[in-house]
Amino acid sequence: MAAGLFFPLRVELSMPDLNIRGTVQVDRLGKKYTAHLFQKKVKALSDVTFQVGKGEVFGIVGPNGAGKSSLLKILLGFIRCSTGTVRVNGLAPTCLSSRSSIGYLPETSCLYANLSIHEHLQFVGRVHGFTNNDIRQRIKCVLRQVDLLHAGQKPVRNYSKGMAQRAALACALLCEPDILILDEPMSGLDPVGRQMMVDLIFDYNRKGNTVLFCSHILTDVERICHRIGILNKGVLEAVIAPDDLPQPPKTMRNKSPLEAFFLEVISRNTEEKH
Amino acid sequence: MRAVLAVALLSLKEGLRQRLLYGVLIFSLAIMTFAVLVSGMFMRDISKVILDFCLSAISIGGLLIPFFLAIDLLSKDIERKTIVTILAQPVSRTYYILGKFIGIALLTAVTMLVLTCSAMVAVWGGKIIYGDIFFTNLSCSAIFISIGLGWLGILVLNAMVILWCCLTTSSFLATMLTVATYFIGHSIDDIVRFIASDTPGVEISASIQKTVHIAQYLFPNLSVFDFKLLAAHGIIPPVNDILFCALYGGAYIGCALSLATIVFHRRDLA
Repeated sequence: MAAGLFFPLRVELSMPDLNIRGTVQVDRLGKKYTAHLFQKKVKALSDVTFQVGKGEVFGIVGPNGAGKSSLLKILLGFIRCSTGTVRVNGLAPTCLSSRSSIGYLPETSCLYANLSIHEHLQFVGRVHGFTNNDIRQRIKCVLRQVDLLHAGQKPVRNYSKGMAQRAALACALLCEPDILILDEPMSGLDPVGRQMMVDLIFDYNRKGNTVLFCSHILTDVERICHRIGILNKGVLEAVIAPDDLPQPPKTMRNKSPLEAFFLEVISRNTEEKH
Repeated sequence: MRAVLAVALLSLKEGLRQRLLYGVLIFSLAIMTFAVLVSGMFMRDISKVILDFCLSAISIGGLLIPFFLAIDLLSKDIERKTIVTILAQPVSRTYYILGKFIGIALLTAVTMLVLTCSAMVAVWGGKIIYGDIFFTNLSCSAIFISIGLGWLGILVLNAMVILWCCLTTSSFLATMLTVATYFIGHSIDDIVRFIASDTPGVEISASIQKTVHIAQYLFPNLSVFDFKLLAAHGIIPPVNDILFCALYGGAYIGCALSLATIVFHRRDLA
């Protein structure tokens, strides 16, 4: 407690172990929130344990308020966990050397409205210590990748939802991170935008990088992921590979295997609690 | 260090794109033009009137930065979650606070520099219209020292803005606390002097005296950075006073930013 209060400026200088680069380890993670002063603490996450290996695409699905975004925010060091441990690239999430190899796409584009994507990318390049020439080349490459080469100098406020989402993805990809963390990457995108996002994730993973993302769109999750975690009310109910998903029962013929499994897990959990 | 500079540059760019900045500049330029026209109504002290108006306009222009733009750049950064763009990169929260402070300081400097140039044009205009004879007391050194120390005073207020933004979750509350800091900072010296003067017939309760005593140490004394009157009379302030201001301002900024960093490190950015 005292160390946390008086020495918060400490920066971990240890170098990540190369064998655990691109991995995520979450062990008995718990998070409690206090929404307002004098209010009871609310459990957002409880005893969540899972690992993501290098080169794996791991999807987290769950209903609204399940704690998906909280989990991702803990992995990025935006919020602190109440219990348990988290290691990204073998290091604590607050460690700067861990964050230098993470790309993050937030749920809604969080870019500065008055600045262009070119200026955002310049900022990212400078922070990572790239040379001006390197930054220029990387910007060109990443803007071509997300199909925004034509709109690089426009202020972000003039972008459509899809363009803003792709612009935020460009910021995440510029430093060629080992781990890509995506929060609802497909939400609000049209079918073309969704397909583009899926292709980008595939391309990125083909290079041996790790992708961890949460989504509501189960068909996309089933298509992309090597393993899927189902989070409900802060509890990780199941972790399953798409190939291991059982065939849907007769009553759910119109559903995909993941949709049927997801609904079954959620309803089973609700019944148990009742 | 490169992370701090990158955040500072990003904040400066974002600040320069705000329309409010142009409003501040137009308002201040209007005051300066008004000063040149109105000063003709005064038989003597034309240079003093023009300088008084111009220095006040620079001060107001600079002050509007912490009141509006600085809060917008920091508090709204958290409210609109644009902070995520910065903190998802290898930028520590300490670097973020320092970068934001330097960015806002540069923005204030740019604004005050533009206004200083306009003030010089206003003085030059006054000289042409009313003649050199009214400007014999004019001292450019006194003017620049006054503006420089005024900038330092605004930096102290900027550091307080950052501290309030880190302590509160609402930009409105941060604005209110900044306004309170400004008024307390400018009046605390007079209140302390009044209490110490033991004016006959005036009784001040012990609790009020104690509160003022505590406030004197908690809030920055912003009146020490005000050298406008001396500059208007063409008097250069003593070196000791300038050094005291620089040390006091630097120490206060250091303390406020350190406290802001400690608070910000413990905050969840949900």
